[in-house]
Amino acid sequence: MIHGPPGPATQIATTAPVLRIGAVSKRFGATTVLENCSLEVSEQEIVTLLGPSGCGKTTLLRCVAGFWNVDSGSIEIDGYDMAAVPVNRRPVGVVFQSYALFPHLSVLKNVGYALRMSGMAKSEASDRVAKALETVSLTGFEDRYPAQLSGGQQQRVAIARVLVMEPRVLLLDEPFNALDAKLRGAMQVELRQLIKRLGLTSIFVTHDQEEALTMSDRIAVMRAGQIEQVAPPDEIFDRPSTAYVADFIGTSSFWKAKAVAGEVTLPDGQTLKTELDGTVQVMARPHNLRLTEAGTGLWQGTVAFHRNVGALIEYHIETADGVTVKVAAMRQELARPLADSASVTLSVIDPALCAVYAD
Amino acid sequence: MANVTLPSVAARPGLGEFVLEKLLSGRGIWPAMPAILVLMVVAIIPFVILLSLGFSDIEVSRGAIVSRTFSLEYLTTALSDRLYWITFQRSLSLALSTTALCFLFGYPVAYLFLVGGRWTKRLILVLTIAPLLTSGIVRTYAWLVILGGRGVVNTTLINIGLIDQPLRIMNTQWAVLIGMVQIHLPVMILPLIAVMSRHDGNLIEVSQNLGASRLGTLRTVILPLSVPGIGTGSALVFTLSYTTFVVPQLLGGGNYLNAATMIYEQVVFSLEWSKGSVTSLILMVTCLVVLVSIALVSNHFTRWTRERDS
Amino acid sequence: MRSFRHTSFTDLLGIGLILAVAVFSLVLLVAPSIIVVIISFDTRAYVSFPPEGFTLRWYAAVFEKRELVEAMWTSLKVGLTVTVLCIVLGVPTALACVRGRFRGTTALSVFVLVPHMVPGIVLGVAVLFAGALVGVSPSIWLQSIAITVFVLAVMVRTVQSRLQRLDPALEEAAANLRATSFQSLRTVTFPLLLPAILAGAIFTFVEGFDNLSVAIFTHSFRDRPLPVELLALVQYTSTPLIAAVSGIQIVLAIAALVAVSMSIGLDTANE
Repeated sequence: MIHGPPGPATQIATTAPVLRIGAVSKRFGATTVLENCSLEVSEQEIVTLLGPSGCGKTTLLRCVAGFWNVDSGSIEIDGYDMAAVPVNRRPVGVVFQSYALFPHLSVLKNVGYALRMSGMAKSEASDRVAKALETVSLTGFEDRYPAQLSGGQQQRVAIARVLVMEPRVLLLDEPFNALDAKLRGAMQVELRQLIKRLGLTSIFVTHDQEEALTMSDRIAVMRAGQIEQVAPPDEIFDRPSTAYVADFIGTSSFWKAKAVAGEVTLPDGQTLKTELDGTVQVMARPHNLRLTEAGTGLWQGTVAFHRNVGALIEYHIETADGVTVKVAAMRQELARPLADSASVTLSVIDPALCAVYAD
Repeated sequence: MANVTLPSVAARPGLGEFVLEKLLSGRGIWPAMPAILVLMVVAIIPFVILLSLGFSDIEVSRGAIVSRTFSLEYLTTALSDRLYWITFQRSLSLALSTTALCFLFGYPVAYLFLVGGRWTKRLILVLTIAPLLTSGIVRTYAWLVILGGRGVVNTTLINIGLIDQPLRIMNTQWAVLIGMVQIHLPVMILPLIAVMSRHDGNLIEVSQNLGASRLGTLRTVILPLSVPGIGTGSALVFTLSYTTFVVPQLLGGGNYLNAATMIYEQVVFSLEWSKGSVTSLILMVTCLVVLVSIALVSNHFTRWTRERDS
Repeated sequence: MRSFRHTSFTDLLGIGLILAVAVFSLVLLVAPSIIVVIISFDTRAYVSFPPEGFTLRWYAAVFEKRELVEAMWTSLKVGLTVTVLCIVLGVPTALACVRGRFRGTTALSVFVLVPHMVPGIVLGVAVLFAGALVGVSPSIWLQSIAITVFVLAVMVRTVQSRLQRLDPALEEAAANLRATSFQSLRTVTFPLLLPAILAGAIFTFVEGFDNLSVAIFTHSFRDRPLPVELLALVQYTSTPLIAAVSGIQIVLAIAALVAVSMSIGLDTANE
C-alpha cells in the first residue's frame, strides 16, 4: 500500500512486506503479554498499534526493536529473520516517549551518535548530520543542548538522530505524550507529512485514538496481548470487527437485541440483516442516530446530559430499558440545546451502518 | 545483511575490549565479582576468623599466630568479669545519651532547614558537611583546647571573675559527652535533612491552612514523616559513639575506659588477642541489638508506608 | 514563613525555642573550629585563650616536622589508593546492582553494605588477625584495602542512586543507535555517572585520609598515617602546632566543599 510518490529511500516498491511479525508470543514469568500476534507492514506504510495501557503494544514494539526476545514466532525485516540480530545491528530507528536525548551531548553530537558508533568517516558523517537537521528544520541548533530545547524541538532532534541511520523501519513509542495538547495536533500532521515525504516505513504506538486516526495508513487495535483488527482508519471506524474495537475507537452506543431468523429488530422498529443468532449486541455511532423532541415512536428516552464536541452536541439519552445511548446532533438542527430530562424519540438513520456482535 | 546501508561496525573488538565488555556490561553479576571477591577475602573471612579466635586459646609470636586450640575460656571469663560489665555499661550509656542529645540538638537544625530560605539551607549544609571532611582527631583536639585547664572556658570564666580556680572539666565523663555530641551532630542532621526534604513542601502549607499551629504542624505532620530520618540518624550516631575510640581516649584521660579503648589496649598493647576478639564480639552483638531495636521502633512508626498487600 | 492566621503565644514561644536551639547548635558546630584557628596564630608556645599576637610560625613548623610531613604523605597515598580502588570495584558493582538481571540484586546491595555497618575497630581487628594468620603484616596496603572494604558501600550507594534515577531509555537509545554495550557504557552511562562518582570519590578519599578506627590496627609502624601520628602528638605536644594542623584541614575541607557545590551542587551530594 503506497501513498504518494516513492520517497528518497532507494527501495523499489515491491509486494513483499518490509516487516513481518509472525505469530509472536511473549511471556513475563506467568503472565502472557503477547499472544499469537501477526502483522505485515508494507513499504512506506504507517501502521499504528493502538490500545489501552497493558495491551502489549509497547512490548510488541520493543520486540521488533530487539530490546526483548520473543518466546515463539518470528520477526522478519526484508525477509531476514531478526532472531539472531542484536539491537545495535537491526535496521530500525526508535524514537522513545521521553525522546532519550543524551543530556551531556550537544544536538550535533546527539544526531551524529549512530554514525560515530559505527565508525563512519567524519566528512561523510557530518554531511549526513547536516542533511538530517535540515530535514527536521533544525539547522543552526547544532551547538544547543537538549535542556535548552522545547518539547517539539527535542522530538525533532530525536527523529533526526535516527534518520541518519536510514533505517528500514521507524519505531515511535507514544512520541506525542510529552507535548501539550495544543502542540500535539500540529506536530502529528507535520510528522506524518515528513514521514511520507521521506518514504519511511513506520510503526507508531499510542493509546490515543485520535492520534491513530490522524497518523496512520492502517491501525492495529490491540487488546490483552492480541491484535483484534488491522485495517485503514475509515474501515476501523465504520466497520469495527469486534465490540471492543467499536468501543475503543470513536464513540459508540451498545444495546442488547435478539436475532431471529437472520434479522435483528432495532428499537425503533427497523430491521437489520445478520448472520448471528440468539442474543446479540447492536452498536450504533452517535451520528447514525437521530432524536426528535417528544413525538411518538417506538424508541423513547430522556436526556441525561449533553456536551459540546466541536460543531456537534452529543446527547446522552436514557432509554426505557436503562441503556444510555449517545446521539450526535448538529447545533443548527434544534432551536436550542435540549434540557436535561426532556423527553425525546430516537431513531436509527441508516440500519446498515449499525454493527452486530455476538453477546 | 546486504540491505543495511550503514558501514558495518568499524573494527573487530580486540580481546581486551571483549573481556571488558563481558565484565562491565554483562547483565549478570560479573561486573560485581571483583568487589565480591575482595569483600570475601578482606572482610567476611576475617570476621569468621575473628569469631573463631574468640573461642580459641592462641599464642602470638612476633605479630603472627603460632598455635591455636579451642577454648570457651575467654568468653566465659569475659561474661563473668565485673570490669567488662561496667565498661560496656558505660559505653552503652554514653552512646545512648549522645544519641539522645544529638537528636535534641540536631532536630531543630533540620527543622530550620525545612522552613528556612535558600541561604539558610546553604549555610546549614556547609556547616554540617564541612566538619565531616576533617578528621576526628582535629575536632576532638578543639575540645581539648576549649575544656582544658587553661582552655577557653576556664580562662573566660576566670577573666569574668565567676570562678577563682579553673574547673576540672577535662578528663571527666562530661568532657567526653560534650565532645561526642558536638562531633556527631552532623551525622544526625544530614539524614534528617535528606528525609525531610524528600517530602512534598506543600504538606506544611496544607497543615497550616487547615488551622494547625506551627507547633501542631510540627508534631502531627513533620515529626511523623521524619521518622525514617530519625531512625537512620540515630543508628549512625549510636554506632559511631558506641565504637569511637578517639574521643574517650583524648577527652577522658587514661583512666576512662570504654569498650573501644579496651579493645585497643587488648589488641595493640597487651597482645591479648583472644580477649580482644571476645570484646569485639560482645561489642558487635550489643551494637546489633540496639540497631535492631531502633529499626523495629522506626518501622512501627512508619506503618503507613507499608503498601497494601496486593 | 508567612502566618496564615493569628498565632498563639505558646505557639510562637515553642517555635521560637526550637529555632533558638537550632541556632545554638549551628554555633556549636562551628565555634570550636573557629577557636582552634584563632589559637593557631598565637605567638605563645602554649595553648591558651585569648591568644596573643599573630604569627604563622606554627604553620611553618608543621611542614618542618618530618614525622608530620611523612604522615601526611602516607595519608595522601592511602586516600588516593582507597579512592581508586573504590571506583574500580564500586562502579561495576553498582552497575550490577541496578542493571543486572539476576535474582540477587538486593542481596548484593546488602552484602556490600555489611562491612560498612560494622564498627570500624572491629573490622580493623578482624583484618589484623586474619593477616596475622596468613603472615600478612600491617602495611600501607593492608590499611588501604581494609579501609576500601569499609567505605566501598558509600561509593556503591552514591553511584547506585544516580544510576537508578537515570532514564533506562538512554542506554536503550544508545544500543539502537549502533553502540555496543561497551560503547554505550563509555559514551553515555559513565559521563552521566561522573558527578556521582566524584561525590563518592570525595567521601572515600576523606575516609581514607582521616580514618582512625580501621587504621590504628592495620598500619605499620614506619608508615604511620596522619591520624595515628596526630593521636600520638596530641598527647604530648602543648604548642599550637596541632592547632595549625587543624587549621590546614579546615581550609582544605572548605575548599573541597566549594569545589563540590560549584560542580554538582551540595544537595545532590547529600543524596
